[in-house]
Amino acid sequence: MRSSTATRPSSPKLSDPSRAPAVELRGVSKRFYFYDHRTSSLREWFIRRILRRPIHVRHAAFSLRDLDLRVSPGESVALLGHNGSGKSTVLRLVAGIYKPTRGTITTTGRITAVIELGAGFHPELTGAENIRLYGAVLGLTRRELQARYDEIVTFAGMHDFLDTPLKYYSSGMEARLAFSVAVCLEPAILLLDEVLAVGDQDFRARCLERLRAFHARGGTLLLVSHELDQIQELCTRGVWLRDGQVVRDGDIATVLAAYRAEHPAAAELSREDP
Amino acid sequence: MLSSASVQPPSAPRVRRVWGYRELLRGLIVRNLKVKYQRSLLGFVWTLVNPLMTVTILVVVFSHVVRIQVPQYWAFLLSGYFVWNFMLQTLSTGTWIFAEHSRLTRSVAFPSELLVFSAAGSRLIEFTAEISLILLAMIVLHHHGVPASYALVPVLVLIQVVMAIGLALPIATLSVFYHDVHHALPIALASLFYLSPVFYPASMVPEALRTLYFLNPIAGLLTLYHDVIYAGQWPSGLLLAITAAQATAVYAIGYAVFHRYASVFAEVV
Repeated sequence: MRSSTATRPSSPKLSDPSRAPAVELRGVSKRFYFYDHRTSSLREWFIRRILRRPIHVRHAAFSLRDLDLRVSPGESVALLGHNGSGKSTVLRLVAGIYKPTRGTITTTGRITAVIELGAGFHPELTGAENIRLYGAVLGLTRRELQARYDEIVTFAGMHDFLDTPLKYYSSGMEARLAFSVAVCLEPAILLLDEVLAVGDQDFRARCLERLRAFHARGGTLLLVSHELDQIQELCTRGVWLRDGQVVRDGDIATVLAAYRAEHPAAAELSREDP
Repeated sequence: MLSSASVQPPSAPRVRRVWGYRELLRGLIVRNLKVKYQRSLLGFVWTLVNPLMTVTILVVVFSHVVRIQVPQYWAFLLSGYFVWNFMLQTLSTGTWIFAEHSRLTRSVAFPSELLVFSAAGSRLIEFTAEISLILLAMIVLHHHGVPASYALVPVLVLIQVVMAIGLALPIATLSVFYHDVHHALPIALASLFYLSPVFYPASMVPEALRTLYFLNPIAGLLTLYHDVIYAGQWPSGLLLAITAAQATAVYAIGYAVFHRYASVFAEVV
């Protein structure tokens, strides 16, 4: 279930707990099936039918269990946890890519989700054409994109490569282009899934700057990242997930300290990161 | 993306959600065409050459070897072959469409039927150019004038598109779960070529079998095209109504099958 209250996405106000939450998950569970054997041909389907063997051999596992999460407008929340703890599942559910097995998800305002950078990019199209296509993928109308086009190009710093087909771009350039479109959209809610590790030092610094400005203007940010230092700079609240359940939820410094205490390796890794 | 404009309560029609993504549909159609035609000097000519070669061979075989008694056989063949070709290509593209866009389906919440619509849409733009040339050729070389029945062509094109999408949606859905579709579809389409009035008129089918024969919705569609473009006559109202009803039914069933499974695509592709 998914519903939405009317907002003016262009003018998000500052954080205020009394207002409708930007994102609210109530009792959300998500079950996935893991297939030990998946029948994907009709021949096998018939044979298994005749032999009365099960068509699929699978076991269900909960990626999220009875999760409650309320994010107020203007909050900047980091999801922490190991691989497989359910962080990305939360983002995909909020974005509407997955449907929850149980529970309800309510969102207010326009959401932009960047789960995979440049999904929808086509290698044969030029940089300029890909900007337009990716904008449409992320839900922008032509007029909205036109208004932001110059800003996107300037932010990416790619004036010279706009007419070059994407397949001649380096992977770093491609990621930079995708990220520039994503951060220039100015939605009410921005979801980022481990996409902050993009480009060179300079570009990363500008991305962080941009996200901070987005937050300062009252935008809601929900992100998954393993770069703890970056998280500390950018987020005000941390939510630590383990096996699809919330272990700790609170002020970013407190949650990060607890997380680092339990995962010294993760803390070191992020410090070593240039 | 979800916005207050595009997030609907579950009861709201999905149509509105699709409409909210029309910009993406346009973008995908433009992409399909650009990718297909860039860096080819002759571009659209190639799109014409392939079916025209087949048409030429069919004309030679069926007017000189196996003689099908149809006056001006080339005109008859042209009036239906490109319609068949449209169906063939839309269905073939449809089978791969969700696999080709798996990254998109896994990471963006958008109505995935748009992918099938875009495949049909870019084919439709090419078809519009093809049918215009064919109508022109018919006017100049076959009818020596403009038959009034040509006014019906847009209606036939509409029926054709609805039917193509209605057939492509369940095929594309099934191919997400069962890879057999990739093997079975070419065989099915090859059979359908002989079971549809592409290179012979439906009137050659024995009277006793004709009801059965017209259960194939493409048979009705092609016969309508033969009446309107080749014969230059108004088709029977009954055939038009039946074919339109068939297209609607095919679409309704096809969409229902798609809709039943669409919500798990992101987890499967």
